Amino acid sequence: MKPAQFEYHRPDTVQEAVELLDEMEHRAELMAGNQSLGIMLSTRLATPENVIDINRLDALSGIEVADDRVRVGAMTRHREIERSDALGRAVPMLPEAAEQIAGPAVRNRGTFGGSIGEADPAGNYPCAMAALDGTIHLRSVDGEREVPADEFFIAHMFTELEENELIVGGSVDCSPWPSERSGMAFDELKRAAQTWPTVSAAAAVRVDDPGAGDPTVEEARLALANAADVPLGVPDAEDAVEGEPLSEGSLEAVAEATMAAADPEDEMHADAEFKTEAAAEYARRAIRTAYERASG
Amino acid sequence: MSVDDTPQTEPPTEEISLTVNGETVSAEVEPRLKLSDFLRREQGLRGVRVGCEHGVCGACTVLVDGKGVKSCLMLAVQADGSEITTVEGLTGDGGALHPIQEAFHETHALQCGFCTSGFVVATKELLEENPDPDRDAIEHGLADNVCRCTGYQNIYEAVERAADYADEGSHGGGDG
Repeated sequence: MKPAQFEYHRPDTVQEAVELLDEMEHRAELMAGNQSLGIMLSTRLATPENVIDINRLDALSGIEVADDRVRVGAMTRHREIERSDALGRAVPMLPEAAEQIAGPAVRNRGTFGGSIGEADPAGNYPCAMAALDGTIHLRSVDGEREVPADEFFIAHMFTELEENELIVGGSVDCSPWPSERSGMAFDELKRAAQTWPTVSAAAAVRVDDPGAGDPTVEEARLALANAADVPLGVPDAEDAVEGEPLSEGSLEAVAEATMAAADPEDEMHADAEFKTEAAAEYARRAIRTAYERASG
Repeated sequence: MSVDDTPQTEPPTEEISLTVNGETVSAEVEPRLKLSDFLRREQGLRGVRVGCEHGVCGACTVLVDGKGVKSCLMLAVQADGSEITTVEGLTGDGGALHPIQEAFHETHALQCGFCTSGFVVATKELLEENPDPDRDAIEHGLADNVCRCTGYQNIYEAVERAADYADEGSHGGGDG
């Protein structure tokens, strides 16, 4: 349970980091919060020749909310996301997703970019970013590029990220979600803090008039984690609730659309059938919670 | 059966300088050395328990710049420039128990004791952030730590008692 030998690099600037990465490519592993990589190193499932530690790249850490756009730096820790008032107002789904990751010691170290880069199908931020139509920002020696979240995640732990690229952050357009008439929810089914969730559902809902008794859903977004090998958007579920007040009937349609879309892997403690049904139930709960929050 | 773990070349090392329980420490370490092994083996701090060694059990929890960290998921080289507090750093003059340790002792919040230092350190962070946690906050605050003996209830009671001691402000030898 000790990592194999590696050479350690600790760049002081992002430019230095991408230059190192460009030089070493597949011979290097980036080290962010080390809460997942550390496990792989300990078990020697990962034995990189080089480790590039990006923990001192302060430029990659922090949260900015400006002009309807929220930007979260790759090295922002889960704890900071969980406790950010600015995120709580603009995109409350992100703090709610962050606070459900493991326990406090893991959240003190684990990072936003690390979770995006790991691209575990059960990961919280990949699912939230898919639900929010987020953008992933990448940088290499050739410059920066942006990839929409729904294109970034390709398969189980496999992403658009090139060997010489660094995730510098993620951003979300929050203009569709004015806080006074929008609600968000991130609900996960998880038995113990240290485990991955069996499934999670991320939902955002905007209504026309929160003062009305049964406001009409103007826009809804839904994504699920661990219900497929990438974050799973369910457009049919969104269509089913838009244009009318939320009802038991439309929630039933959400569940049915989710069942139809889900394509999970069997796991030791949850087979595909169970996960499909759990995904449907969590989709229903997340949409309902988001609607209730939107309706004040 | 053996595993050939012989390095092909001289292992690379890095100079680090950090504060451990108030004392400045300088050392040359291999980058792959975990903070947990550095503290336990090289600094002789046996309160840092090396349990699962891959971030599950929480027995190796220490404070790095005041924040709880699983020291098996941090490299010693990453702690360069940091301030580390282990369970040994919580005791007062002459080894007087910290109020959190007193509370664990009094409520029988340990049996074998292996996990205890991790729980005590995690409780330190928890109570600093939330001096009066309810049961739910305690469970969440200690969610990174595993105990296989107590069933947790006595540990939660210890945290409540430690919070009471901090309210009273007069118990024990530490800074609780």
